[in-house]
Amino acid sequence: MDIVYAIENLTKFYPKQTSPANKDISFEIRQGEIFGFLGDNGAGKTTLVRQMVNLLRPTSGRITLLGKPVAGDPQHVAAYVGYMPQMAHALNNMAVGEALYFTAHLRGMSRADALHERDTLLELWHMGPLRDKYSTQLSGGERRLLRLAVAMAGRLPVLILDEPTNELAPQRRRLVWDVLSQINRERGTTILFITHDAIEAEKVIQRVGIMRDGELVAVGRPGDLKRHIDQKLRLELFFAPDAPPQLPAGLTPHELQPGHWITLIERREASALLEHLDLERLDDFRLYSPTLEDLYVHYAA
Amino acid sequence: MSTTPLDRRGQPVLAQWWDLFQMELTNWRWSWRGSLLQGTITPMFSLLALGFFARDSGREALLYVVTGNIVVSLLFGTMTSVESRVSWLRFQGGLDYVATLPVSRAAFVLAMVAAFLLLSLPSVIVTAVLGPLLLGAPVHIHPLILLVIPACTAPLAGVGAALGMTGRTQQQSGNLTFLLMLVMTALGPVVVPPDRLPGFMVFLGHFSPATYAASALRQVMVGPVTMRLLVDLLVLSVVTAASMAWVSRRMGRQEE
Repeated sequence: MDIVYAIENLTKFYPKQTSPANKDISFEIRQGEIFGFLGDNGAGKTTLVRQMVNLLRPTSGRITLLGKPVAGDPQHVAAYVGYMPQMAHALNNMAVGEALYFTAHLRGMSRADALHERDTLLELWHMGPLRDKYSTQLSGGERRLLRLAVAMAGRLPVLILDEPTNELAPQRRRLVWDVLSQINRERGTTILFITHDAIEAEKVIQRVGIMRDGELVAVGRPGDLKRHIDQKLRLELFFAPDAPPQLPAGLTPHELQPGHWITLIERREASALLEHLDLERLDDFRLYSPTLEDLYVHYAA
Repeated sequence: MSTTPLDRRGQPVLAQWWDLFQMELTNWRWSWRGSLLQGTITPMFSLLALGFFARDSGREALLYVVTGNIVVSLLFGTMTSVESRVSWLRFQGGLDYVATLPVSRAAFVLAMVAAFLLLSLPSVIVTAVLGPLLLGAPVHIHPLILLVIPACTAPLAGVGAALGMTGRTQQQSGNLTFLLMLVMTALGPVVVPPDRLPGFMVFLGHFSPATYAASALRQVMVGPVTMRLLVDLLVLSVVTAASMAWVSRRMGRQEE
């Protein structure tokens, strides 16, 4: 399988900072795969993808796209990669239809094809009635869908999406995963995205990279990575948010949301541990076999 | 699964420019308020206020007020709008969108300046037509005005873009622009004839593009057109080229 992106020993220091935002990162993205980045806020995911689309210069290391360094030619990445940044205001003055049409045309489509692409994307993202609305008139979720559609406009072979489902309602999150899955299957589009939505992303992710403190601490197929932790079970604990958790010694949970904690425990220790849990102080608890989110917690937390 | 072709390119530069120009023209959806308020109403008030004083100082002073206020319209309308647009692009993620499109940065800067040049025309025309009428100052329009108005607008748009690329925050860029606008209006013979200004202000005016814009406008609205117009146009072209080249290069410098 062809290599789309090759990242070698990438390190990035921001000015006046002593610890690197990215530290000696190496990995490859293969043609036609869906690759997901997981990691806590500040783990260096956005810094990494901004270097991949040539918006930031690495301090050291090398990034090649289709065998050519991205730093040498500013047009090279733009010709192949549709990028969806985190910030939501890039298209403020344009109507939805205008943003899609101009982006598709600038990415090399004929005017007729760009008009057709606009209509296809409006339908694909259920945005037909929004065609003539300005970006400023859209809700937060609609704006995110527009930025996703703009990233896809022109049918570039690679998509890099920074948190495509953040702040979306469940129905729209499902639409995002369905559409990404569809274009990957039908067009062979290589898709790389950052997400915190590990449970839903598991449906589409083919390979995953987990980042912690600027380092890429695990890369691989979720199934392969899970094998490293399949002797473990996921324990979720729910406390009243104002009641501090009282847990048996040796348990180090990670707080997902106020009052909602998660940890991985050894299978053989599960029954003993459950016996020691003070159920009177718990709102609820759940025990699962590992998911992608557990990989995230295992490697990143 | 098909392999990725290695010959993908975007549009030719002229087609890029045309698309980007149309995209930048959509800025009228917010900039018209600024054009109306700052580009038309501010110079009209300034024109009326200064015009009443200038009436007693003779025809020449009155004509300085009329032509100078067209420059004020460009400073307050065009320069501020372009500065707002560029600093907004910088701080709200718009540059990420442009930088990841297969377009030349120079084409983008040229498209932006051209769009704001077109958007500034209504204010300039209103000021140029109403000014002489309100003050009763006779003007004789030379056909070269068709060249001079864009030549005066482009460098101020370019300086606005450079200011937008300069501040550490959006607010800092805005404050710097406001300050420079006042300095450029006051320095040099823009709205006030040189013999009414202190010598050092006339001297410092040589370093302000507004002085050359005002001089060029005076020649094509009042006359006579002399070789000085060539000098004015040359300076204005150099400021345009230098500011746009600087902005294009700076846009290409990846943010750290």
